[in-house]
Amino acid sequence: MLLEQLVNGITLGSIYAIVALGFTLVFGVLGIINMAHGEIFMVGAYVGVMTTGVLGWPLWLGFIAAILVTAFLGYLLESLTLRPLRGKKGVSHLAPLISTIGVSIFLENMTHHLFGAGNKPFRTPFAQLSIEIGSVTIYVVQIIIFVISILLMMGLSIWLSKTKAGKALRATAENLETASILGVDTKRTIIMTVVIASAMGGIAGVLVGMAFNSVSPQMGLAIGLKGLAIIILGGMGNVKGAMVGGLILGLAETFLVAYGDSGYRDAIAFIMIIIILLLKPQGIFGSKAAQEGR
Amino acid sequence: MLGELLNPYQLQIASFVLINIILAISVYVTLSSGQLSLGSAGFMGIGAYTSALVTIHFEFPIIVGVLVGAVVAGILGILIGIPALRLSGVYLAIATLGLGEVIRVIFVNWESLTNGAVGISNIPQIGREIVFTTRDLGFNATSLGLQNNQFASLSVFLILFVLNIFIIWFIVRQKNSRVGRAFSAIQLDEKAAESMGINVTYYKVLSFAQGAVLAGLAGALFAHVMGYISPSDFAYHRAVEILIFTVFGGSEVIVGSVFGAAFLTLMPEVLRFISEYRYIIYGVLLVILMAVRPQGIIDANILKRLKRSKGGDVHGS
Amino acid sequence: MVLKINHISKNFGGISALTDVSFSINEGEIYGLIGPNGAGKTTMFNLITNIFSPSSGEIIFKEDNITGIKPHKITEKGICRTYQNIRLFSQMSALENVMVGGHCRSESGVMRSVFRTRYQRSEEKTLKENAEELLEIVGLIKYKDVLAENLAYGQQRRLEIARALASDPSLLLLDEPAAGMNENETDSLFDLIKQVQARGITVLIIEHDMPLVMKLCDRITVLNFGEKLAEGTPLEIQNNEAVIEAYLGKEEEDDIA
Ligand SMILES: Nc1ncnc2c1ncn2[C@@H]1O[C@H](COP(=O)(O)OP(=O)(O)O)[C@@H](O)[C@H]1O
Ligand SMILES: [Mg+2]
Repeated sequence: MLLEQLVNGITLGSIYAIVALGFTLVFGVLGIINMAHGEIFMVGAYVGVMTTGVLGWPLWLGFIAAILVTAFLGYLLESLTLRPLRGKKGVSHLAPLISTIGVSIFLENMTHHLFGAGNKPFRTPFAQLSIEIGSVTIYVVQIIIFVISILLMMGLSIWLSKTKAGKALRATAENLETASILGVDTKRTIIMTVVIASAMGGIAGVLVGMAFNSVSPQMGLAIGLKGLAIIILGGMGNVKGAMVGGLILGLAETFLVAYGDSGYRDAIAFIMIIIILLLKPQGIFGSKAAQEGR
Repeated sequence: MLGELLNPYQLQIASFVLINIILAISVYVTLSSGQLSLGSAGFMGIGAYTSALVTIHFEFPIIVGVLVGAVVAGILGILIGIPALRLSGVYLAIATLGLGEVIRVIFVNWESLTNGAVGISNIPQIGREIVFTTRDLGFNATSLGLQNNQFASLSVFLILFVLNIFIIWFIVRQKNSRVGRAFSAIQLDEKAAESMGINVTYYKVLSFAQGAVLAGLAGALFAHVMGYISPSDFAYHRAVEILIFTVFGGSEVIVGSVFGAAFLTLMPEVLRFISEYRYIIYGVLLVILMAVRPQGIIDANILKRLKRSKGGDVHGS
Repeated sequence: MVLKINHISKNFGGISALTDVSFSINEGEIYGLIGPNGAGKTTMFNLITNIFSPSSGEIIFKEDNITGIKPHKITEKGICRTYQNIRLFSQMSALENVMVGGHCRSESGVMRSVFRTRYQRSEEKTLKENAEELLEIVGLIKYKDVLAENLAYGQQRRLEIARALASDPSLLLLDEPAAGMNENETDSLFDLIKQVQARGITVLIIEHDMPLVMKLCDRITVLNFGEKLAEGTPLEIQNNEAVIEAYLGKEEEDDIA
């Protein structure tokens, strides 16, 4: 029982981690909270459902489709809503917040309009496949989710630390102006960041569809809020923090549902961040930058 | 003849506009000291539930219930406002958004008190109370040529209207004073404000609590206008909607909040004929607005120009 | 003695910005704080106004130990400053900026403000008149309704001084007030600071413009890499070997001679 919950928690947590990574990448580079990230995730989940469930495509093709669609959405998001606000005089930090909220409202209602309000079942051919280890039942789906998440996180870490593009991204995150003086094509880096973050959201969407066997237009909101909570927990813009924060939340939620009061499940994320913000506002892994009184 | 002009449905929409204006102002006041709070929906819920519960269980008169609701929201505002001082910008926004979610989840789960997700119905309604009270005093709406429901909606509208005028008057007066200057100084440069001798802690908590009181007041009024409330009335969507009223209309000036709340409350009514698409349009509209006018529709410049052109008419000849 | 800096040190993470610096300022003096960039001058201001707390040491203002007191309380006690990188309230008019400076010398709260009591009206009137007088002194009365961000650079610097004066300080801290000013502007700045002194206000000034410093100051402390290198009258400083070597010798010697 305990072990099973542990597996459930880790599965959920690794999905949360991927969603949070999307938030954290965009925040790290652009200093913007992308309020549409949850809805991009939701679109990814729908593409997964439609291609595998309705069109009968194989799962891997469903993933590719979801990645392509959400990456393209990310591109549109960057060029139509974020770029026009950049470097413009009189733009407060409110503007990108509202603008991406606009996108999230658009995507949620568009999906609602196209596919209706209800839950759509998500049938994967192996949804019921499971293996028994002693008394513990583990579903194949859970293993797939876990493996994909780990690969994705490792890939991202390696890409960020080893490749030229990844280094450019980190330099831009550090300081946009300095990076551009040093010859980094910051415009391209920003596009790339948003596109990659969105594609990760799309992958997470398909994974959630698999884990819970259903999708709905509102699923983006719930996960988006949790993603926000996680990046505060782990420190804004902090990649490692997003991963650990995601796992912590996944485990906390699973154990609360199993051993406590499931009604408060959706509040844990925020109770945790409210506590964290009061104790250590820069997050678990964040560091404090002092630059006052100049 | 008065009776033919007054459509209770339209009066109710107008009342919602007025409640939403109070909500928008609650965000405006908090923003005026540089704090972006997404907690309005939560404070609104606190005001609504408090007032609904005390009027139902303790049979408080509505007006007392509304005041209690606003005060309780204000006290919570102070309690939250103090630790929130350590946060700024998006951190504060997310933390207050989280606070709203926690409040909503408590409403859903504390069933013995709040009746859970179903919500509370049978909340005493302002309009009806007025009809009954005036009837007891021997006044009959028909003597004005009005039906009872028209009279009820009309009195609700008038009460809210007077309250709106009072709130706007209060906030404008406050803005053009030592307190208002302290708020703007903090908004523009908190450290410099502190160095100029402004007690930043005090003024930030003050403006946060004022926002909470206004949201709580609006929530209590909402409860007694609608007659029923449920946790979903105070969820994420409401928090975002309220923020958008203010930012869409223009967060620099109070007129912006009034305009934003009025326009965005009426727009879905006007767009009823394409109701299927209205939220899709709403989303696109926000994106376009931020790209074209990130400061919102109305800003200080527009107001100045309006004033000048009016002044020009007067002095022109 | 107005201000006494007692063995002050300040570390930021690993680097020490100030190491065991002491000096004291007499009433009515104009006191100079000079040294190369990064010497720790601005940090000293930030410690005096308690934007940061010192790592060790204490700061005594008129017999009071003010180390660790909240910044706004320090302003109330009578110390006010300007910033090296101008920090005006950019979206407020010049007049409003100066009126904000008078905040801690007035007291009307929310109720008085909203109901415009007689007390509030007279207080507001006094605040405004004081602010206008100060704008007159710094030569900005013509621009009183102009937004601070639309003023020229030199005007912004003077506005910052007026704003600080509005808090009725007995000690005024000026962080590179002449930076970016042309010769005319520097001359009128000199007059302005002398005028401030004539009002009985003690001045502590950080400045790179050596002719101005030497002309203006009664005494000077030189900082170098966070340590106090020398203290004395302008004449003594100009003839101090260590100072000439560390600082003046490199760039400004000709100017001073
Ligand atoms: N907030 C801070 N955080 C970290 N280091 C700082 C901070 N403020 C100043 N320093 C460091 O302290 C040293 C002195 O800076 P400063 O006082 O600004 O010099 P000055 O004003 O004499 O040019 C510099 O090395 C600077 O980098
Ligand atoms: Mg300096």
